[in-house]
Amino acid sequence: MRIRSLLAVGVAGVLALSGCSAVAGDDRPLVVVTTNILGDVVGELVGDRAEVLTLMKPNADPHSFEISAQEAARLRSADLLVSNGLGLEEGLQQHLDSAEGVEQFVAGDAIEVLDYAEGDAAGQPDSHFWTDPERMLDVVDGLQPVLQGLGVLDADAATAYRGEIERLDADMAAAFAAIPAERRALVTNHHVFGYLSERFGFDVIGAIIPGGTTLAAPSASDLASLVGAVEQAGVPAIFAESSSPDRLARALASEADLHVEVIELFTESLTDAQGGAPDYLTMMRVNTERITTGLSS
Amino acid sequence: MLHRKTLLIPAVAVLALTGCAGGAAPAETPVPTSAGHGAVEGAAEVGEPQLHLTTIDPEGSVSQLDLLDESVVDVGAIDAASAMTTDGRYLFASGSEGIAIVDSGMWTWDHVDHFHYYRGTPSIVGTVPGEGEAVVATTNLSTTGSTGLFFADSGEAVLLDTEALSKGELVERFRLELEPQAGVLAPIGSHALLAADGVVQALSAEGEPSGPAADCVDPAGTITTRVGAVIGCADGALLATADGDEVALETIAYPAGSAPRAMSFANREGRPTVAALAGDQGIWLLDTRERTWTLLPAPAPLVQVTAVDDDAEHVLALAADGRVLVLDGSGAQLAATEPLVDASQPGATLVADQQRAYLSAPAEGLLIEIDFADGARIARTFETATEPAFTALTGR
Repeated sequence: MRIRSLLAVGVAGVLALSGCSAVAGDDRPLVVVTTNILGDVVGELVGDRAEVLTLMKPNADPHSFEISAQEAARLRSADLLVSNGLGLEEGLQQHLDSAEGVEQFVAGDAIEVLDYAEGDAAGQPDSHFWTDPERMLDVVDGLQPVLQGLGVLDADAATAYRGEIERLDADMAAAFAAIPAERRALVTNHHVFGYLSERFGFDVIGAIIPGGTTLAAPSASDLASLVGAVEQAGVPAIFAESSSPDRLARALASEADLHVEVIELFTESLTDAQGGAPDYLTMMRVNTERITTGLSS
Repeated sequence: MLHRKTLLIPAVAVLALTGCAGGAAPAETPVPTSAGHGAVEGAAEVGEPQLHLTTIDPEGSVSQLDLLDESVVDVGAIDAASAMTTDGRYLFASGSEGIAIVDSGMWTWDHVDHFHYYRGTPSIVGTVPGEGEAVVATTNLSTTGSTGLFFADSGEAVLLDTEALSKGELVERFRLELEPQAGVLAPIGSHALLAADGVVQALSAEGEPSGPAADCVDPAGTITTRVGAVIGCADGALLATADGDEVALETIAYPAGSAPRAMSFANREGRPTVAALAGDQGIWLLDTRERTWTLLPAPAPLVQVTAVDDDAEHVLALAADGRVLVLDGSGAQLAATEPLVDASQPGATLVADQQRAYLSAPAEGLLIEIDFADGARIARTFETATEPAFTALTGR
């Protein structure tokens, strides 16, 4: 199981590096997947029965990554194209549209979609369904018959992987349940945790996280939004994308006498094998551990 | 002048060839990334806005100050400029040969629900030939869509391919020849709006009439918000919105019996509300989402205004006496700096960001960072090596 998934990642990695045509003599069906999160999941379901080409590289931005002409050509000749949908792969839309003749599976069609609750995107569909493992199970359930129809489903592997996601879901529920109810709040500038929050009962409190230009010479008013959010939530940690989290924590301590930990989470992309989130299950478990530890301390 | 131009061309060519490898390397290592990701090769996605002040001195030398680590790099040289427009990534400088384009290499991808930030290498892209100064109309996305130029002296309207620009190439989608006049060519979605001869007409990306038209007498001033593209007309603002391939036009008329019309608009990039001087009689706020004009009183004679459009509805103004005023959405003065700049200088520019404003003081050789929400406190001051005749806040 573990070994098989590593092999799948390895093949995808080689393809990504060479960036060109199929491995010579590979006559397996070709499944092209847009995002690396879905690429990982599809790889688990097919094992070595299909060639999985993941278009989005590790550590990339799913909204704006670009693909080579060779990848675009392979996309049009694929046996199946798997995408996230819900507007996530903006930069890729023209290629997806051009693959008219290719059978397509759109993950967003397999789940109950949430809309953004606030901000300028309010009312638009939230595309980041993977932060809720239950919805990922819905996607797996939707994918299986499609892969079966193509003759590439590794049923044993799929059953085992489904079990792993169910275990992840149960472990996340147990871990979050241990956080005192009054602290179950994410003060964050991450925009991807709507599904996780709905599923596990967190409040998401958006806040302006001051950047480096502000922190160069900060004042109390620069931090007012964030301080207000932290005090409202009564939490010991915030979850922020910041290039200088230590500087932010120091500014909060010196300007507002507020002592919080600044913790970064994995959001929209897997890392490479050396990073902290090389696959979907690991990404989710690391985030769960960081949230639980941060809010429990 | 001819001699100068022949010198310039090789320099541009070298810069274009070296691309991301040459010139000024980023002073700090960006957040770890893998090769080849992001919207443009050679750029790294990073965790926060890569704010810079990109300046052009009177001789045409371009410098770039990194507001994160305070380092300065020389970007190169263009023709001496007489006017400059920016979209937060590129600088479009009017010179004797046309519009010289500088790429700061820093930009933000506005995804409405969130942003992505990119850091590349600054460069001089080249010059779009044209006669006299041009009105330049940009969008909030620096890697897709188009940029519009209108040369009043020759009546030429040029639509540039912004995606090509992001790859260092100058590609004209079309060039139309009209009668010399004050016109505007503004990009909207996959279309462009041509304001000329008393009418705004939607054009296809090939320059053919495509979509609606509306009256617009004496067009002046243009800006793009996240709602749509605005063109200032004598009796109101023309707002164009795009929905897929469809363009819709509507006129937001000035309230009856009111102050002089807006001639130019400014705001924190992309925000729905923009500000303009109402002649010497106050400040116009145009809310493109609500489709409303609001006239605020001016607490002192003003030379520039801009809208922050934050929760506190801050409006910033450069007063004729060189002070920066901080106003709220009703026009009440919340704070003011001391006189900082000879405001009669054309290049003195006030730019609003989310938590800071930046004022360039050409004659004083200073770039000043102002914390407008904290009593107009001067947060940082930077001395420039040469006079910052034109200044752009880039990385937005």
